[in-house]
Amino acid sequence: MVNALASQQVIMVSNLTKYYGNFKALDSVSFAVDKGWVYGYLGPNGAGKTTTIRTMLGLLKPDQGEVQIAGVNPEKDPVQALQIVGYAPELPALQPFFTGEQLLDFMGKMFGLSTQDRKERIKRLLDLVGLKEWGDKKIGKYSKGMVQRLSVAIAIINDPMLLIMDEPTIGMDPEATAHFRNLFTNLSKEGKTVFISSHLLDEVQRICTHVGMINKGRIVFDGPITQVLDAFTQQWVIEAELKEVTKIMISALKELDYVQDVKAEGNKLRIELKEKKDLRGEISSEIFKHKGVLLSLNLHQITLEDAYLRALKGGQ
Amino acid sequence: MGFLQRSANIVTYEWRRALAKKWLYALVILALALQVGLFVLFYYFFTNPPPGFTITGPSLEEVKAMMWLVGVLGPQSLFIPLIAIMIAGGSMSEEYEHGTADILLSKPITKIEYMTGKFLGGLSLLGFVIALTTTLGATLAYGFFGPQESIQFVPIIYLVLLYSNMLFFSMTFMFSEVLRRTTLSILAAIGILVGSVFIGSILSTMYVISGGEQLYLEISKWLPNWSVSNLPSFVASELITAPENPFVSVPGGDIQLAAAIIAVYTVASILIAALKFVRSDVTKRTG
Ligand SMILES: Nc1ncnc2c1ncn2[C@@H]1O[C@H](COP(=O)(O)OP(=O)(O)O)[C@@H](O)[C@H]1O
Ligand SMILES: [Mg+2]
Repeated sequence: MVNALASQQVIMVSNLTKYYGNFKALDSVSFAVDKGWVYGYLGPNGAGKTTTIRTMLGLLKPDQGEVQIAGVNPEKDPVQALQIVGYAPELPALQPFFTGEQLLDFMGKMFGLSTQDRKERIKRLLDLVGLKEWGDKKIGKYSKGMVQRLSVAIAIINDPMLLIMDEPTIGMDPEATAHFRNLFTNLSKEGKTVFISSHLLDEVQRICTHVGMINKGRIVFDGPITQVLDAFTQQWVIEAELKEVTKIMISALKELDYVQDVKAEGNKLRIELKEKKDLRGEISSEIFKHKGVLLSLNLHQITLEDAYLRALKGGQ
Repeated sequence: MGFLQRSANIVTYEWRRALAKKWLYALVILALALQVGLFVLFYYFFTNPPPGFTITGPSLEEVKAMMWLVGVLGPQSLFIPLIAIMIAGGSMSEEYEHGTADILLSKPITKIEYMTGKFLGGLSLLGFVIALTTTLGATLAYGFFGPQESIQFVPIIYLVLLYSNMLFFSMTFMFSEVLRRTTLSILAAIGILVGSVFIGSILSTMYVISGGEQLYLEISKWLPNWSVSNLPSFVASELITAPENPFVSVPGGDIQLAAAIIAVYTVASILIAALKFVRSDVTKRTG
């Protein structure tokens, strides 16, 4: 426990394996999340994201492996481990017989908040998630989107050090999605650690500092978002379309020290670069030198999308 | 915040959850209405007895003075066990069916605290309902038939009623956690209630046919309904010394045995529920 805190490790998941009957939903999943990170847990539907999260909260029992939240096993000591956690489930179901205020108040009580604190926070949170006018209405009357927003408010009622959200923006309209992504970024700026699962690469790319990619129950990448590109990039490629391609031109291009290889296919050239740099200017002047007529010139740099797809392939 | 505080939070939660159920109000109102109806009938019967009707044994005044027992014990024959089953049936399972278990059990609370709160929440609600029927029963008796005798025993009878109803309450609670389906749990419990009444009557027929073979009686006592329906009247007959009364019959019997059987069923149910709950995953929406 001392070690975990010293290293600022907020989540530690090691060798987690989980079966549903004979189906292996998680296969030796390991990752760690440090204080202050916004960790994107990325994977297609059915990859095992929800299973991981529900195991992290002690709702599911792992068949192998262990979870620690700030050094504490949530299954063995939920009272201590979950005191600092806020959780917004995937497509949440909330008690329809409570009003939004009543449910927030009850959840505040479960964290041992004082009456004064609860009152203050409920008002502020309802405002924050855009349910100011709905606080005194029964949740049974809420739309799906409103339930989702209330669920985010519940997740931060205890001012948690760790916020765990399972696909929080799924099904939200673009406006609400933007609002909530902004909210998560702000919470992270306040020093909270944010763990957010998503099947949307774009979402993770926008708000996360670190990424864990899961596919078919296995982690296929885990690291800072900046490393994702590097890790999966073999090279950058320039694709050129010309009116005519000559052999001399090809060998001249191959001579350049920043070019790895050139492949010709009809009047198209695929120029593989040694450096991860936009060298379109250099390439086009070289083509000009050899009287080439350029029809198009594109830099193809490996995007997170490619890295993602590549990682998923690697995981199969 | 300790164990008690965390469980108490769930107790209040459980009350609010149950009080949002329309069927609960309907059942309670029906039970209370039937109590009133019964007293109206008795009142009519006693004030306009059919020609030639006489009571053998006690005087009419003595019968009237014991009518509170009818009011207090009457609902126990059907309505209270039914309400106990209905309250306990959804206690654990509904949270799985509706998918709300996740939002509760991801909070700083242990499974045992949660289950304790659920159990005590439902039981205290049942206790409140029994308090209603008991109070109404005693009040009706007083209102219709004047001053009542031995009425000081009402609180004890109330506690015995609550204790007796723990059997079906706990058993249904156990089904609710083990089966994780509300309808199934309620059906299972009602099935056992009806089944044990049925088997009980077969056993007593066998007892008569066999010319008094004790074994049949002994077996029938272990059927869950025997102790539940008999313990309150066993205790009443022990407490109250009144002449034999054809309208208010409280047969005596083995109080300790009945109490012990209830305890065995209750404790076993709670243990099974707790073991299942602690050992298994929190399931997502099943309904
Ligand atoms: N309770 C369950 N019983 C059986 N299989 C399940 C259960 N929950 C999830 N699964 C399966 O486990 C896999 C992972 O599911 P899940 O963790 O929900 O994925 P994700 O959240 O990434 O979409 C899926 O193939 C899903 O069908
Ligand atoms: Mg999921």
